Amino acid sequence: MVKYSPFNWIILILSSLVLLFILAPLAGMLLDTTGKEFFETVKDKEVQQSIWLTLWISFAATFLFAIGSVPLAWLLARKTFPLKNIVQGIIDLPIVLPHTAAGIAILGFISRDGFLGKTADLLGLTLINNPAGIAMAMAFVSLPFLINSARDGFAAVPERLEKAALTLGAGRSRVFFTISLPLAWRSIITGFIMMFARGMSEFGAVVIVAYHPMIAPVLIYERFSSFGLKYARPASVLFIIVALAVFIILRFISIRKKEIHISPDAETY
Amino acid sequence: MLKLINISKKLGNFALNDINIDIPDGEYYVLLGRSGSGKTQLLELIAGLNDPDSGEIWLDNENVTKKKIQERNVGLVFQDYAVFPNMTVFGNIAYSLHSRKTGKKVISGKVIQVAEEMNIAHLLNRYTQNLSCGELQRVALARTLIKSPRLLLLDEPMASIDASLKDDIKRTLRHLNRKGLTIVHVTHDYREALSLCNRVGVIHNGHIIQEGPPSVVFSRPVNKFVARYAGIKNFFRVKFFSEAGRFKAKCDGNLVFAISEDSYPSEGLMILRSDGIKLHRSEPLQDFDNCFKGIVTEIIPSEYGMEIIVNAGEVFYVDISVSDFKLLQISELSEVWITFPPESGIALPGSV
Repeated sequence: MVKYSPFNWIILILSSLVLLFILAPLAGMLLDTTGKEFFETVKDKEVQQSIWLTLWISFAATFLFAIGSVPLAWLLARKTFPLKNIVQGIIDLPIVLPHTAAGIAILGFISRDGFLGKTADLLGLTLINNPAGIAMAMAFVSLPFLINSARDGFAAVPERLEKAALTLGAGRSRVFFTISLPLAWRSIITGFIMMFARGMSEFGAVVIVAYHPMIAPVLIYERFSSFGLKYARPASVLFIIVALAVFIILRFISIRKKEIHISPDAETY
Repeated sequence: MLKLINISKKLGNFALNDINIDIPDGEYYVLLGRSGSGKTQLLELIAGLNDPDSGEIWLDNENVTKKKIQERNVGLVFQDYAVFPNMTVFGNIAYSLHSRKTGKKVISGKVIQVAEEMNIAHLLNRYTQNLSCGELQRVALARTLIKSPRLLLLDEPMASIDASLKDDIKRTLRHLNRKGLTIVHVTHDYREALSLCNRVGVIHNGHIIQEGPPSVVFSRPVNKFVARYAGIKNFFRVKFFSEAGRFKAKCDGNLVFAISEDSYPSEGLMILRSDGIKLHRSEPLQDFDNCFKGIVTEIIPSEYGMEIIVNAGEVFYVDISVSDFKLLQISELSEVWITFPPESGIALPGSV
């Protein structure tokens, strides 16, 4: 039973204000959108395509980059090496960079003068205004979410479980795939969802790399700058609903996965 | 069987120093020491989880110092068992067989066999989260034994199980040892050493400070650390002297003990086992070499009966059985007499 002391009242009021701050603009936008406008937008091919494009590029980017990021996260959790703090700092860098600046950096990297652009050019590919370029821009700004979450997940796996597996004759890679990875799975999935969600909502970096094909945040911006608030609103509402639905489904899947309790590290000596 | 030759290993601000242990085939060896004394590190070195800075590890006349963990065939049961929570009991026990690419039928047969030996066959399909500590330990043991290790290393195997299950586990371990398995068992509890091992080594601050059969180590500790590990609580700072051909020890508190030591330092410690002291309700009629009158200050129920704390100018810890306790009708502030024979007192160098 919560006692209503002045302290509890203050906490309650402050918490409510913060929640209201998040919910009020969204609710306002939802209420300002008429059903007719909304259903017209749902049927709008351009909107449909851009939302679909946003979802799959972000998913593909998250999936592909996870292949390299998960081992990196394990390395950060388990090993000590020179300049580890600097490596950790580099991983967090995209969080603090202005996203337009990140977009400029990616553009330089993938344009025909850049290293990756030149290589792609040799294969007859253009990365600018291409889903591959968008995926890179999305990944650049959202990778820290996956790496940090997976790193925390690996760090929470008691090292002695890995040691026990080694003494039972397993090789390093078998230990990784049968012990470390399954036990850190929840954190990896959480990081995956966070990276996917963050990538999906990216505008600043993507708009510089690829105005077309238009992902949903760019489409919303384009409708706003060309036609005004009224036209941008229904597309925003639709995108938010879709993003929210995907987010909830993924969360639900990850929560339903069997909970594994890991006891804290026992005294080692 | 297992030979550690001049093993040293620095770990942060702690180090194992020049450890030499020679364990013959089939021996049950207990390594006794407090947490932080380097016991677990030593086990990890033997298992191959860490490499020593210097020294050699020999197993069955083969130098394994540089050998991979997987090639040493040493079984290690961790203090909290390190049972894999993402697998069933079956999965845990079968883990090492999968590493060896054994066929499914063979695996299943072997797992059932070892699970039956360990009395956990009924748990095979269960996940490990809701198992009791005793069950977890049996899973960990089964998982290790299934690969037929040539040496079994146990890290504090009784630390987190109920007293009622300890006897069960001890029986299992004794049985395994009798079947020929060499065991190195690490613990902080001298009673485990007493009831299980052929030989005990006391480790303190990274050094083995005494080694031998438990009956010898615990009755003749070489210094106060070993005495403490042996559960001795009565320590007296004394000056030794000889009087009329008899050896005596005089405490700071002016009590004088008769002791039977024939070589002793001029100053040092006298220790006395709690179960070597007798308690009397009235002044004994018989003439004792050491007889002191005191007051009971505290009575604490202990594992084997009662621990009576008596102030007789010095504080004495006396262990008595519950039946003796009832017979003597002692309560706090009771007046009592304590007696002990001269050979109970052990003279040691050092201070309290």
